[in-house]
Amino acid sequence: MSLLTCAQWLQSTGWATAIRGSWYVYPVILSLHMTAISLFGAMIVVTDLRLLGIVMRKRPVADVVDELRIPKRIGFVLVATCGALLASSKAEEYYYNPFFWTKMSLLALVAVHALVFRGSVYSRAAEFDQAARIPGKAKLAASLSLLLWFCIACAGRGIGYIEPPLDKLHASLAQPVSGPPAPIPWLERR
Amino acid sequence: MFLAEANPLNGSPLVFPILECMHIVGWALLVGTIGLVDFRLLGVGLRRQTAAETAKDLAPWTLLGLAIILLSGPLLFSSDPDMYYLNRSFQFKMVCFVLAVTFNYTFHRKMVRAGVSGGAGVAVACVSLLLWVGVVFGGIFIAFV
Repeated sequence: MSLLTCAQWLQSTGWATAIRGSWYVYPVILSLHMTAISLFGAMIVVTDLRLLGIVMRKRPVADVVDELRIPKRIGFVLVATCGALLASSKAEEYYYNPFFWTKMSLLALVAVHALVFRGSVYSRAAEFDQAARIPGKAKLAASLSLLLWFCIACAGRGIGYIEPPLDKLHASLAQPVSGPPAPIPWLERR
Repeated sequence: MFLAEANPLNGSPLVFPILECMHIVGWALLVGTIGLVDFRLLGVGLRRQTAAETAKDLAPWTLLGLAIILLSGPLLFSSDPDMYYLNRSFQFKMVCFVLAVTFNYTFHRKMVRAGVSGGAGVAVACVSLLLWVGVVFGGIFIAFV
């Protein structure tokens, strides 16, 4: 089964069809995706800026890094769940979207980043507080993390700028079934 | 009446997406840092320091975020003022935004500095988070209504 077949199957599932069929479910999930990104993305930014010695310099590194670990994981699950629902509803369209694949590749690099730096940097925050200065490896990890997540956010926004190749798509799947509600006459009167 | 065509920002297709990325970064800084204070009031996150300490540590970053969105937002708006002005979702976003910023720099700041905790702290955090969530929903729905 090719990747395209997988995307078509994903898009034809009940939940994906339901998301696509309503004018408001997609933007609601997108809003939740963005809300979670701002709230939990800031935890990543604060963690990394603390490792770089830029914010909360008076607070122990361990206080920031360790206390935010669990909330960050919960946040990632929320963001990824919303993201997966959004992507599945337009899976075939996104199969042709270069920004979508850029974003997925960058997310794979985040996994590599975690494999490389979790044990050597993020689990050893308490040691940095004993040391005279934060080691270069920790600063490298923090800088790469900031760069990766910034690029992921930009690539995510870029997805919306690619016109779906309508000639390649299953036409019935490409368009939402219903549009926004008709304007309310008494609110439209000026 | 503004003409979208007369705006030099509309001369390049790259300007709008670049401004949008700036807007998202500023937004994440502004709301994320306030969110960390609110989460602390809810007993989540940076529990080894008080909400007041967190707010004080992060205040310059909150302000930086606010400055970035106040710079990028009006420029984005200028790309098509008539559309935004008449867009119900945009109007909702602006109401939520003004309320959220006002709440943050008045009541929220005062309560956090005074060391609010318990039920009152939860209430302050929930009002703050709800207002900011309203801003996100208003912003996203601009393109969908």
